[in-house]
Formats: sequence, C-alpha cells, structure tokens
Amino acid sequence: MSVGPYNYSYIFKYIIIGDMGVGKSCLLHQFTEKKFMSDCPHTIGVEFGTRIIEVSGQKIKLQIWDTAGQERFRAVTRSYYRGAAGALMVYDITRRSTYNHLSSWLTDTRNLTNPSTVIFLIGNKCDLNAARDVTYEEAKQFADENGLMFVEASAKSGENVEEAFLETAKKIYQSIQDGRLDLNAAESGVQHKPSQPGGRNTLVNDQTASKDSCSC
Amino acid sequence: MSFNQDHLGIIQAKLSSGETASTCHEASLMQGCVCASRILALVEHEGEWALFIFISSRMPPEVFTDLAIERVIPIDNDFKCEIDAGEQSVDVYVNSRKLKLLFKMIPSIKTNNFVSEIMRSMEDLTKRRDPPPEFQWLHKYSGSSTSSRNKTDCESATTDITEDDASKEKMLDLDSPDIVVSRHSVAQGANPIAARENVIQHQMSLKENDYTYTQILRVFIGTWNVNGLPPTSSLTPWLASDMEPPDIYAVGFQELDLSKEAFLFNDTPREEEWRRSVIAALHPGANYKQVALVRLVGMMLILLVQEKHEKHVRNAAFETVGTGIMGKMGNKGGVAIRMEIHNTSMCFVNSHLAAHVEEFERRNQDYHDICSRLSFSKFSPPKVIDKHDQIYWLGDLNYRITEMEPRIVRDLISHNSLGALLECDQLNRQRSQKNVFSGYREGPITFKPTYKYDPGTDDWDSSEKNRAPAWCDRILWKGDGMDQKEYRSHPILRTSDHKPVSAMFESQVRVIDVVKYRRVHEEVLKKLDKLENEFLPQVTVDNTEIIFDVVRYLEAQSQELIIANTGQVPVQFGFIKKPDDSKFCKEWLNIDPAVSFIMPGEKCDVKLEVCVDKKSASKLNCGEDKLYDILVLHLEGGKDIFITVTGNYERSCFGSSIEALVHISVPVREISIGRLVELEKGEPPGGMEPYPIPKEIWFLVDHLYRHGLKKQNLFLLPGLNSELIAIRNWLDNGSSEPLPGSLHSIAEALLLLLESTAEPIVPFNLHSVCLGAASNYLQCKQIVMQELPEYRKNVFLYLCFFLQELLSHANENGLDAKTLATVFGGIFLRDPPRLSARGRGNLTAMDRKKASFVYHFLVNDLSDYVTSKVLHLGPTT
Repeated sequence: MSVGPYNYSYIFKYIIIGDMGVGKSCLLHQFTEKKFMSDCPHTIGVEFGTRIIEVSGQKIKLQIWDTAGQERFRAVTRSYYRGAAGALMVYDITRRSTYNHLSSWLTDTRNLTNPSTVIFLIGNKCDLNAARDVTYEEAKQFADENGLMFVEASAKSGENVEEAFLETAKKIYQSIQDGRLDLNAAESGVQHKPSQPGGRNTLVNDQTASKDSCSC
Repeated sequence: MSFNQDHLGIIQAKLSSGETASTCHEASLMQGCVCASRILALVEHEGEWALFIFISSRMPPEVFTDLAIERVIPIDNDFKCEIDAGEQSVDVYVNSRKLKLLFKMIPSIKTNNFVSEIMRSMEDLTKRRDPPPEFQWLHKYSGSSTSSRNKTDCESATTDITEDDASKEKMLDLDSPDIVVSRHSVAQGANPIAARENVIQHQMSLKENDYTYTQILRVFIGTWNVNGLPPTSSLTPWLASDMEPPDIYAVGFQELDLSKEAFLFNDTPREEEWRRSVIAALHPGANYKQVALVRLVGMMLILLVQEKHEKHVRNAAFETVGTGIMGKMGNKGGVAIRMEIHNTSMCFVNSHLAAHVEEFERRNQDYHDICSRLSFSKFSPPKVIDKHDQIYWLGDLNYRITEMEPRIVRDLISHNSLGALLECDQLNRQRSQKNVFSGYREGPITFKPTYKYDPGTDDWDSSEKNRAPAWCDRILWKGDGMDQKEYRSHPILRTSDHKPVSAMFESQVRVIDVVKYRRVHEEVLKKLDKLENEFLPQVTVDNTEIIFDVVRYLEAQSQELIIANTGQVPVQFGFIKKPDDSKFCKEWLNIDPAVSFIMPGEKCDVKLEVCVDKKSASKLNCGEDKLYDILVLHLEGGKDIFITVTGNYERSCFGSSIEALVHISVPVREISIGRLVELEKGEPPGGMEPYPIPKEIWFLVDHLYRHGLKKQNLFLLPGLNSELIAIRNWLDNGSSEPLPGSLHSIAEALLLLLESTAEPIVPFNLHSVCLGAASNYLQCKQIVMQELPEYRKNVFLYLCFFLQELLSHANENGLDAKTLATVFGGIFLRDPPRLSARGRGNLTAMDRKKASFVYHFLVNDLSDYVTSKVLHLGPTT
C-alpha cells in the first residue's frame, strides 16, 4: 500500500506582537482552529501554536509564538523576537493608542530580528467599522513608508486572517528562493527539515533555529 | 536515557519461572500519531518464543515493579515482523493476526541485534519439527484480572492477548483515550512530525476499508517443465482453456534450455520462442500487455495483464535467485515478479527446486534460500516475497512419491486412486510437518501426476530408470482473498516429459475509490494537525501575580503556586532563564520544585519562598534591586507563562553600608527611603557629625562587652532566628527596652551585620594585597592604617580591641586567638563575588592567610593605632 508523500520541508517561526488587547491571541486561534474566542483572557506569557500550510507546492510548518502585550512584560517578550522569520504586528483599528505605539513595536522588531524578517502589519477588529479610530489610508501609508505588508483583518469574522499568515509565508518563501534569506544563518527563523527542538535552558537558545538542522 | 541489557535482570524478575528473557530493547510504540515509550523483550519458554511489551513507569526502569506488561504476542505462524531501516529510525512492524503495531527504534548495533534476535526466534519456529507451539504458558498473561504480578500500576495497561480483536482495534484507534504513558514526546512537536509520513501511511493502511472496495480479478497461473525443448504445438489448450479470459497471466517454465551456453552465459534463443508461443496462445477474449519477463538459465516467468488493467499496475519488479551448483548457480532456484495492481501487492514466484527422489530436504532448503535471498532490491528497504498481500508460488518443485514401488504407483493411478498416493507425496508430508511452505495453501489435486512421461506421449517413463510418477509441478498460494477455482494439468501437451499444470484464481484486489481516498487522507491529515495542537502541553496556574506584602531581612515567607495540567499530555515544566540573567530567578527567591513533571489532570504545588539574607540585602537596601521578578514558566514543547513576583522590602541596618550607617543617628526605619538610598550612593551627608563607627555595631559590641566577656564559645555557637529578628527590630526601630536575645544571638547578629554589607571591612580591591601580606605584621599594619577607608578602619580596630578584651578573659571564656582570628578573618576579608563563585580549590590555604592577617591584630599591642578619634571600649556619650 502506498500513499503519496506528505511531509513538510520548512519550519517558519512567527511572532505576533502588539499592544495588549488588540487581538493577537484571537488571530492565532482563528488561524489554527478557525474559531473565534469570544472571551479570550490576556496572555500572560507566550502562547504557542502550529499549523502546516502549503506555499508553491511546498509544505511549510508554521510555528507561531503569540506574545503578551502588556508593557510590563516587554523586557521579557523581547527575547522571543530572535530567530523569527515573520513578525505579525497587530493594532486595533478602534483604539488609536494601539496604532500610535506601532513605531515602538517596529523599532523593537527591527532591532531584534534580522533584516530579512518579514513584517506584516495587521489592523485587527475591522468588523467594528463603526467604532473605527484609525483610517485604512493612514495605516496603509505608515505601512508603505516602512516597507511593511498590510491588511485590515478580523479575528472575529476571520476576514483576511488566513491571508495575513499565508502572505507572510509566501514572502518568506520568496526570500528563500531569491537567496535573500540565508538558511544557514542561525537566526533566519527557517529550518529546512523537521528537527528535534530539544530542551532549552534559556530563552535565547531556543529562539535560535538550531544550526545543525539545516541541510541545505 | 540509557537502557541496555543490564535491565534484562529487571525484566526477568517480572517473569514466571521457566520463562527466560533473552534480550530486551527500548522502542517507541506508534499509537495513532503518538509516540509512546516501551520496552520490548524476547521471552522463551521451553522452545516457544513470545514478544513481551512492557510499559515502564520510569526510564530506565529500576525495579521490576516499575514495569507493567502491556501485551504479549506469541511468535507463532501468524507473527510477522518487517523492518524499515531508515537513517533516523528503524521501523519495526509487528503483525499478528489482526494486530498491527509499529515500533520505532533508534538505529544502532543494539537495535540490529535485537531485531535479528526476533528474526532468529521466527526462524526457530519454521525449523521446528515438533507439533506447532501452543503457548499455554502465555494464557496467564491474557485477561487483566490474572495478568501480572503487580496489578496496581498496570491494570489499565494490560490488555488481552486473546482473540479479542475489538480491543486490539480499539487500542490502535486514533482517538483512543487509554494511552497510558508518556506521550509528551508529541508535545515536543517535532517527534511525531518527523514520523509524520510513516504515521499517515500507517493510519491509511488501518483505514483501508474506508476508501477501497473489492474487485475480483481472475488470475491464471501456469507452470511447465519443458525439458529443454522448443515449442512444438500451440499452447492454447493450456493457456486458453477457460470460458472467460483471465485478467492476469503468470506463466512459468523450467528447463527452458539445457544447453551449456544457457547455463554458462544465461543466453538462449528459447526465451523468445516460448514467449511468442505464450503470447500467441493467450485467451482470445481480451488483449494483454506484458508486465515483465524474467529468466534465470532455464527458469522463465512471464507476467501479463489485460490491457484495461495496465494503468493500475505499479511498481513492477523482478528478481532471481540461483540455488543450483555451489548453492548459487541458476540451474536451480527461483525467479519472481512482483507488482501492485490497484491497492494490492502481488508476488509471483517460479522455482525449480533440487531434483532426485531422496533429496526432499535439499528442496526444503532451496525453498528457504529463495525466501531469504530473494528480495526486490529496487525498493528501499528491499521487499521480500513475504511482504506481499498475495503470493503465487509455482514451478517444478520436484517433490516425489516415496515409499511406494513405481509399479504400485502406476497401478493406483490407473485405478484413479490418487488419495493413497497423495499421502505419500513428499511435499504434502513436508508441509504437514511445517518444514516448507509454511502458511501456503494448495488446492486439492485431482489430476494425474505430471511426471514422468515419454516425450510426445501420455505414457509413463519407459527408460531404464523407470521413474515412479510424481506431482513435481505444483501451484501454491498465500494471502487473503484468494480463491482457487481450477487446479489441473493439461496432458494434451506432449512436448516434454512433464505435463503443464495451471490454476485459475478469483482473487480480491483492493481498488481505491479516489474520492473516498482523498476524503480519508484529508481526515487523517486534519486529525494530525488537530492532535498536534491539542497535544501541545496545556496548564493553568492559579495565580500569575504573586504578591508578598512586607518582606523583612532574614524573615522567610512563602506562597504556593498551583500548576494544573489541563491538557491531554504529560507536561514537563521548568522555570527558565531570561537573557542576561544567570539564574531563572533573583537570589532572594527560591522556587521548589523549579523543574517537574505533571500528568494530565494532576496538579503540582510550587513553593515560592522569598528570603532576603546577607547576600541580597545590600542590593535591596541601596535600591540596586527591587523585590520584583518576572519568572518564565516554560512548558517543554509548548508555551511560556510569565509569573510576576513582587513584595515590599523593609529596609534594615542589615545590608546597609558602614559608611551610610555612621551618618544615621536615628534608627534606620525612621529615615526616609530616599535618604537611605542617597547615603548609600555616597551623597554628601548633611547636618550631623558622623559617628566614628555605626551605632548598631556599638550597641551590639557594648552589650557583649558588658555581659559576655566570660561567656563560653562566644561567636562559635549560632543564635536563634527568632532572637535575631527581635534584635533586628530593636536596632532598626529603636527601643527603650534593653537589647533582646541571648549573648550567642547578639554575637551572631554582629557577624551578620558585618556580612550583609555590600563590601566587607577590607574592600575587595585590597583582598589579595592583604592575603599577600598576611605573614608580615608590619605590612598588615601598614595596609590597615593607610589603605582601609576611614570608617571601616575604625570598625576594624574597634572590633580588634574588643576581641583582645575577650581574649584577656580566655581563662574564663575558653576562647583563643587562633579561633577568633579564623572566624573574623572570613568576615573582614570576605571573598569578592567573582572569586567565591570560582572553584575554591585552595580554600583552606586562603582561610589560613585570612586568619593569620587578623591574628596579628589580636596578639599585638594596638595602643599606638589610636589617633585623635576616641575609640575606646565601654560606654561613651
């Protein structure tokens, strides 16, 4: 009995960042479970989710780290940025303050990830258009000026959620194809073969894609 | 994890007498897509073997009670073991009746040895001359009530070994809730993923019935020993004698060419001649396509399928094995073709086994050699004959009729009394003794023996040898869903001294319903994805913000954090370090346990204890550190949870520097925190004239001077913690009451006060200089007088005066200078943090130097040290 091969060839590490209450965990949950969590508690720590997707016929495993948004955890969550191939930066279109803080999140991302990390800006809660506090146009302009990909999405309705995660993966995959992303770099956030993550003693060790797992 | 043959003894202890564990090995049992650790052991009892599967409560097991017998599989004729050796793991598939298990092992010599031991035990079975094993000794392991010696930890783990197929199927179910042990490997994410393809294949094969349906194919099998002769007449009576056209033809020849050229060079024109005559004689009711043709010297096999089936044929391959002269030449042996048609694998073997009446054991051996040596090498791992759903074995097997006069044989044949003859047939006898063709079936023989005739006639051999007739040419099969409809010879073909034989089968093949297949495949994939997220470790903690109210020096407080495993897998948790931190928590915090393991549905109480002691007090006092920490609670293979720990530290003179204390005239608690931090930072003090030494030191020493000069073992016996706290409160808050506590507690408070400062009396930068000068009093004196900061020099001399005073009462208090020098040496010359962190190899040598440094000041006259500042003992203003 034989079955067509099914396996994935890459692991991409994502982080989801942004202010408290913008819906980071709900976006992750909508993406992995296709469900909306209506009374999602604040994330106190870093949640972890995984899903296998397909890009250009390649199976890719997304390993998604959803970080706590509270300011007091900022120092600790910074240590999770390392080795991320994709960063989803989220704000809430109904709360301007979450938009205003984007530059600080962006600074952290740029400082703590490598240049090829794909940053995707998500304006969440677009189902609440009536309560809108940030226009699509100004966010789009901010994204363009900073070279970010951008959509408005809704973790509640599911609108654009799949797209945001998939587009990010496509962009990363493109970078690999173009050779812009060096898979051998310890912090590329991409592993080319399933590998054993192994134990870790500090945050840093684990955030770094294990070098020996790359066989490319 | 190290598990090895040393553990055989533990396994042996688990067994009953008469049962011997010969070898054991660690393996991961794939249950659905879940990996679970198991120990496998091969156990022997009076020549019967069984595979025992153990669950161990810890790895490696330490005593036999750690082990529970999960399952016992007898190694009988239904036992199959197949091995896929990959780079990352060795996959061992164990099949027994309806039970299918997949074990993954780490590739190693030990694994190889273990697997070959299993194979050997299976060989033992095939070589067995005795009646088939009954495995009565295993009955006690069936049923959970009477199963093993220690039921307590294995009740749920023990499953029947009886024919209770339902329970076996259940265990293999993807949703099975009764997986007993550690599947936390799943939680690590990568483990089941790495095995993902295997798991999917395994799952798909278990669900085969859900996406396939059965189709009956007519399979024609023919065999003919043509005695080296070319075709002389049409083969139609042999190959096309049935009404309906077969779907598959497998036609085998032996002795196609007996020439030396054929033997030596394996080259013969006969191949094409016979092939053409086969093609020409195929059933006219259908068109056929040749799948493969294979020939070794005189043995040839052609496989053809109806044109309409061609597109469903995959992975066709052929192989040959010679067992003739020198055990390898091609005059005897076998050729085989395999293919997959739809979802069923078929293997066709054409063999010509050793000749001569008495050589039946050689024939048996040839059969075993073909089985063990013939493997289709284009597959990785190579596929052996047995690894096919359906096996058709045909050929001149050469078994004869023995123990009967040829004359009688012929006589019985002429009277059509085949029954008596069949009893004397060597193949029937060898098969009933399980010496050959184990697991194969053969249809009832209703045709006359096919050997040996005078060529061109239907007459028995008339040569001098006058051979007895025999059923040399046979067709056997092995596999499910194979139904033999015809088994016959075709005497009308007279070319050879053999008559051709054929059989028609109606065989069930599994046909994939593409739509259903996709659906099932999707389901399996989705389930795996879902399981993967579900099997991420999940816990809840009762509190992520641990708040300690007021924390005071040396007063330990603790709170409990309850971590509950709310997920489906055991959780390994641990507090992990944040970047740039040397430890996973601050030094004033103690976490117990910091690493542990929680089974699903269970809880773990973690004790968080805050205790500010001499190491952490000074940093908290000066504002360098706060009672605030964020702990990262990491679940192995899963998420991290942040636990915030906060508290209010009540500042104390313990932990304050000498320099700050001399500038404080009131109890420490009476000045503002800001002022204290300023003083610690060395901000210019305002107002008061500083004391020569901290008043707290003076209070303590003064008390000891007044009441303790005659006390035995002062500074040598510890005080009471409660008294130390009372003394701390008295010093920090001020009181009109007399200083509380015993003399020993007060003495210890003095030592603690000196030890809790950020820097010791002798500053760290003078540490090595002092040790270097320790043997020379004058140098020591010079350092103290010129190098020590003013207030610390005061404290140093003040304490030395006091110690000299104590020593002047040595006859009453029993103290001596050397002992006191050792105690105070360690305090005055506290090691710099870097040094104490390093391996303190020459600890005693250093301690001796410290002691000798202080010793000088205990035995020499110190009167000339006293300068303008009044530094005398006894009550002052």
